Amino acid sequence: MMLASLFVLIYVDPGATLTTMIDASTDALTLCIELCAVYAVWLGLLEIVDASGLGKKLAKLLRPIIKKLFKIDNEEIEKMIALNMSANMLGLGNAATPMGIKAMQAMDDKSGVATYSMMMLVIVNATSIQLLPSTVIGLRANAGSSDPADIILPTILATIVTTSVGILLAILCNKIKTRLARKKK
Amino acid sequence: MSVYILPVLFIVLFIYGFSKKINTYDTFVKGAKGAISLVVSIFPFIACIMVAVALLRVSGITEFLAKCLAPVFNFLGIPTELCELILLRPFTGSGSYALLNDVYVAYGPDSYIGRCASVILGCSETIFYVATVYFSQTKVKKLGYAIPCALIASMVGAIVACLLCRIM
Repeated sequence: MMLASLFVLIYVDPGATLTTMIDASTDALTLCIELCAVYAVWLGLLEIVDASGLGKKLAKLLRPIIKKLFKIDNEEIEKMIALNMSANMLGLGNAATPMGIKAMQAMDDKSGVATYSMMMLVIVNATSIQLLPSTVIGLRANAGSSDPADIILPTILATIVTTSVGILLAILCNKIKTRLARKKK
Repeated sequence: MSVYILPVLFIVLFIYGFSKKINTYDTFVKGAKGAISLVVSIFPFIACIMVAVALLRVSGITEFLAKCLAPVFNFLGIPTELCELILLRPFTGSGSYALLNDVYVAYGPDSYIGRCASVILGCSETIFYVATVYFSQTKVKKLGYAIPCALIASMVGAIVACLLCRIM
């Protein structure tokens, strides 16, 4: 992908190459500094959630769904995933990330191949399960929309579609994969 | 209404913490400490993907691809104006919000195109960014079917979004 872009750039505008790359890297650094601030707040609050036993309670509540969906049986991971999903639903993608990363690390079997539960967590996070599209509503209000929030209902419906299609596809792929593995044996 | 959700949640959390006799200050500090090392370890991955996306945009490849794919997207009920937005969405969050704003300026936030774009952005995520960051701290080299599944799901979501905006 990068190579193709570089080849095209040599033809179109060779002078812009390095500046573009450095600008992008600067943007990445700015983003990371912002993320660091955001993560500090959320990880601090998360530690309180964890220490007070609230995380365990939330995990217990969501346990039936998580256990079925991710095929795991580990209290610590269930807790992380429960917090990750709750933050996502509230539209706090950046708060969900550190917990998601922790869950991913705990699920890693060090084999170098992504496990079913890891892929499921990435798919759920990559198909957006947020219930309130606050950024979009804010942008619409700024642009002078007469009713900025009137996209909430279609957005929720579309979100349900994306996430369920993603989950169904993952389950399907897993079934095909296990069947193929069985055939090989 | 929704502005009250978070503050109320935080108050509940702190009161609950006190009731469990937790030193909230020490606990918060302990958790917040982890933020720096986390960001330091994901920075290289974020930098790499952002450089790649910037090159892709500046070189005009995305625009070219959007033009090529327009007939396919039209067939699926997606307006031509939204092709580039859909193509860039999986790669960049800030970039796609900038494009969304361009759409609002060009067609108005209450137009069919504007509403479609809003719903498409609201129901999708920056797939490649999420996958990069989530897998960055693991030993995984083979991502399996995670990205294709998410991409297909988002595409279906975009088609449904355009359909919903026509009737709602």
